[in-house]
Amino acid sequence: MPIKTPGRRLMAHVGLEFVQKKVSGGGHRSTNASLSLTSMIDFLVVTVVFLLMTFSASGETPIARGLTLPKAENTMDMIDAPMVAIVGSQLLVDGAPAGNTRAVEEADRLQRIDELFNILKAKRELWKQMHPGKDFPGVVVLQIDQNIKAIVVKSVFQTSAFAGFPNVSFMCNSIPKSPGG
Amino acid sequence: MGGVDVGGPKGKRKSLDSEINMIPMIDLLMVTISFLLITAVWTHMARINADAQVPGPPRPDTEQVKQEPEKQLHVMMQSEEKFVLVWKQGNQTVDSIDVPRKDVVIQEGATQVIRFPDLAAKIESEWKAKGQHSNPADKKLDQAILHTDNKTEFKYLIGVIDAVYQTHREQMIGSKVDKVSAFNVTFAVN
Repeated sequence: MPIKTPGRRLMAHVGLEFVQKKVSGGGHRSTNASLSLTSMIDFLVVTVVFLLMTFSASGETPIARGLTLPKAENTMDMIDAPMVAIVGSQLLVDGAPAGNTRAVEEADRLQRIDELFNILKAKRELWKQMHPGKDFPGVVVLQIDQNIKAIVVKSVFQTSAFAGFPNVSFMCNSIPKSPGG
Repeated sequence: MGGVDVGGPKGKRKSLDSEINMIPMIDLLMVTISFLLITAVWTHMARINADAQVPGPPRPDTEQVKQEPEKQLHVMMQSEEKFVLVWKQGNQTVDSIDVPRKDVVIQEGATQVIRFPDLAAKIESEWKAKGQHSNPADKKLDQAILHTDNKTEFKYLIGVIDAVYQTHREQMIGSKVDKVSAFNVTFAVN
C-alpha cells in the first residue's frame, strides 16, 4: 500500500475530503466567495476622505420643530446671529419663548410685539456690554414657516428693526441656481 | 496581514519591514464611516437678506449735505394677475410697468418652491435701463421696496425677493471684483 500524505480529518477514520469537495464546488459553482481586499480598502478610504471633506464641525443650524422653510436660489451663507422662530403662533428667540403672534393675526394690522421687542433689546444691550467700543452688527435671522401670513412676517420684521436689529435675514433652504439664472 | 517592505540592510538589526493589521484597520475605517454618515448634514441652510433701512444715529460733528432722493424700485404684489414695478424718486413716480403674474410652482416634498422667472427678467432689464449703482467701485446698492397685502403667504414673499436678487452686478470687494445682488430689499410699511 503506498504511503499517502494524511489530509484533513474529522476523526481518525473519517476524512474531510467530502467537505473540501463541497466547499470547492465539486464540479458545481463554488460556495466560497472571495473579496478583493485592495479594492475594498480603496473604496473605504475614498468614502472616509469624501465624508471628512463634507464634515462640518460647527454642527447644524438648529431649526425649530414643525417648520417648513421656503427654498430660494439667490442666497447667502448663514451667519452667527440671534434666531427668531415663528412656530404656529408661538415666537421663539434662540429656542426660548418670546411671546406670540395671535394679537397680530386677530387685528390683521402691523404692530409691535412687545415681548419679542424686550428680549431682542436685552440681547442688544448685552452684546454692547460684552463688546464695548464696537459697532453692533444688528443682524437677526428669522425662521419662518412657508405658509405664515405676510402680516406676521412684517410685524416680526418691524419689531426686530425697532429693537435695534435692522439687518434681517430670512432662513431658507438653498437650491442650486437654474442654468438661465 | 498587509505588509510594506522597504528593503534595507540584512542583519541582526531591527527589521525595517512593517506590517499593518488589516482587521483593526478595516474596523477603524468602518467606524469612521458610520460616525461621519450619522453626523453628516445633507441640507444646506442659507439666508436671504432684507434691510429695514433704519437711519444711523445723528452725527452733529459732520456737516449735513442735502442729497437728492434716489430712484427706488417699488414692487407691488397685491394683485393676483400682475406685478406692478414702479420707479419712484422721492414722492414722484418716474415710471410704472405691469408684469403679468405667472407663478411657477415646483413641489419638492413638503415644500412648494415658488418662482417668478418673468418678474426676475423684467427687473433685470429695468435695472440695466434705470439702475443708479452699477459702477463696481460704488458700494451702494439700488433699493427695492416690496409692497404686499397682509394675506400673502411667506413662500410667495421669498419667491419675489429671490426674483429681485436674481439681478447681479459687479462690485469691488477689497482688491477683487465680485458678483453681488444689484438690489437691497426692504418691506413697505402699509
